[in-house]
Amino acid sequence: MKMRGLLAGLFSVALLTAGCAEDAPATQASNTRLLVFGAPEELAAYRTLADAYEKARPGAKVQLVEASDRNDLITRLSTSIAGGEPPDVFLMNYRFYGQFAAKDAIEPVDARLQKSTIVKAADLYPTALQAFQWGGKQLCMPQNVSSLVVYYNKALFAKYGVPEPKPGWSWSDMVGAALQLTRDSQDRMAGGGEPERASSRVAVYGLGVEASIIRLAPLVWSNGGDIVDDPQQPTRFTLDTPAAREALQKFVDLRQSYGVVPTDEEVEAENDETRFANGRLAMLLSSRRVSTTFRTVSGLSWDVASMPVMSRPVGILHSDAYCIPRGSKSKDAAWRFVEYAIGAEGQRLIAATGRTVPSNIAVSQSDVFLDPAKPPANAKVFLDAVPTIRALPTISTWPEIEDVVGGILENAMYRGDRLTDVIGQIDTQTRPLFARGEHP
Amino acid sequence: MEYRAARRFGGPLPYPTRIARAWRSFGAAFVVLAFAPPLLLLVGNSLRRPGIPPPQTPELIPAQISTEGYAAAVEIGGLLRASVNSLVVAAVAVPVSVLVAALAGFALTRVSPRIAGVVVAASVCALMIPATALLVPKFAVFRAIGWNDTLLPLIAPALIGTSPLYPLVYYLAFRAVPSDLFDVCRMEDLSPLRIWWRVAMPLVRPVTAAIAAVTFVVTWSNFLDPLVFVYDRDLFTLPLALRSLATLDSTNVPVFLAGAVLATAPALVVFALAQRTLLRPHERTRR
Repeated sequence: MKMRGLLAGLFSVALLTAGCAEDAPATQASNTRLLVFGAPEELAAYRTLADAYEKARPGAKVQLVEASDRNDLITRLSTSIAGGEPPDVFLMNYRFYGQFAAKDAIEPVDARLQKSTIVKAADLYPTALQAFQWGGKQLCMPQNVSSLVVYYNKALFAKYGVPEPKPGWSWSDMVGAALQLTRDSQDRMAGGGEPERASSRVAVYGLGVEASIIRLAPLVWSNGGDIVDDPQQPTRFTLDTPAAREALQKFVDLRQSYGVVPTDEEVEAENDETRFANGRLAMLLSSRRVSTTFRTVSGLSWDVASMPVMSRPVGILHSDAYCIPRGSKSKDAAWRFVEYAIGAEGQRLIAATGRTVPSNIAVSQSDVFLDPAKPPANAKVFLDAVPTIRALPTISTWPEIEDVVGGILENAMYRGDRLTDVIGQIDTQTRPLFARGEHP
Repeated sequence: MEYRAARRFGGPLPYPTRIARAWRSFGAAFVVLAFAPPLLLLVGNSLRRPGIPPPQTPELIPAQISTEGYAAAVEIGGLLRASVNSLVVAAVAVPVSVLVAALAGFALTRVSPRIAGVVVAASVCALMIPATALLVPKFAVFRAIGWNDTLLPLIAPALIGTSPLYPLVYYLAFRAVPSDLFDVCRMEDLSPLRIWWRVAMPLVRPVTAAIAAVTFVVTWSNFLDPLVFVYDRDLFTLPLALRSLATLDSTNVPVFLAGAVLATAPALVVFALAQRTLLRPHERTRR
């Protein structure tokens, strides 16, 4: 008897909750569902943006769908697109949107952009816009345009009497500075020589850089080479060309010859960002996104400098954009949110977080971004780099290609694999991925 | 009758030999050695003050003890709301799941061996399907019935016993009880449901404790389902909330660890409760 009562009770609870659920879709019809990812403080910025939009456009509703990192976002997005109920807007990096563009899952925005009175194509940095063009159509609207810069610890430069980086400094200037800044616990220079013996004694490293294609590519470009045979329709990597090979050699030498970057065990134990925050890494190659972290570290005096030049100044594009899935049920409402977010008002709100370089030219040149009261003092470095930045290919299989190359480059950097083998491995392992990919 | 059956068919030997006891102590010590250090590090580091550069080497006891991390975790991560959601899901899903698994397992012992064989084979096949392969079909089904963005998709797996494995475990447990016992009950005019509840279930109490504990942990730590089916931040469960704390920068690791302590504690409590039933099945049954 008792048992039957229990079962009946549980069943009615299930029915009741199901009943509540059925009312939900009716209220969601006017909602714009926005899928974004980021750390809690970034998500808070998007919530502010959504609230401001709701205030500015009475009657409009934005439901923020929060993912923690890119993988979570892609899981959510691909499941919901396949399941027939995608979000109305999502934020995606240009290196990762190809897989969705190739499946025709993103709605082009050209017609809406032309009619818009709030934002015009000319308001945004063209390099970022171009990165999101597929088959001649504008698929997504970029919200930020960052590039690679050198973060440096001013106190360490001063302590060891090394002059701070100047605009237009060369690669060898940077390596020289890194050598002078790599020190053991008795403050003696510890770079160069035998890397294996040296590494155990190093207390401060000169430079932190991730062994990945997004860090290597700008060096290859700066050295006059190219990473792929055709940036629009790549079929293979061209790291075997003399200019690319030389850049790769210089990149690997940072660990193998000079010992100015931490070993892989050391990176595993303490990543470069943490090491920099702890004041035991003098320089770090990264994009704008680490600025917010360093701002929170008390007692760290730091600034940014432009990337060193090998033979000509070239930067690499880092950009995320708002995309509207084809399956969205309220595309007009979605667009109204997007034009607000990349318009002056929305961009100011996001720029205030300090984590992004705004894609809106006017906002990027305003004090909201260049804020002299907050580090980095040299924030203009990010804007100065924009005219020379280049984008990576947006082929649909690019995320897989990046993964494969990352592993091989790590072996080259940390284990000292022979360069010919490294280039050969990258070529043979990525050719099938290039062949399978779809081009813009 | 219950007591005798329990002594014959369940639980550890009533008089463990000295060697067996030594082995058990050794095993317990080994498990503690393997699992305690990470837990201690977790608790220790969660008490570190957030906002200062992380230490180079792990510290068991931080120089300055502070509970700021806990306050920040609850505030930034919305852990309070998430804990309530997780508790609601577990409070409904775990009992339903255990009852469904037990009923299904019992039913399997009552049908013909051929049908039972087919069901067991089907369950084993179902076990081999990776959870990710079912995400899209599940999403489409939940969308059709309007369950997406509610907590119901997180409770729904309980209706099949959470995993095909658990009915099979019950099936094996009930099969160990001699079927004469159930035949006698039937002759006494007891309905199958009563036999299951009054006779069979008390005999497999340790199994129920184990299945309940494991179901709780699986439900409690379910990350993939809420990630895909729940959009609203107010409906996030603990694993999702923790995931967002994990993206905090390195100076705020204590905040994340504080969240992890709060999320781990209930699972430890459930295990502690379950293991009491597991190690002393007779006392419970006799009462």
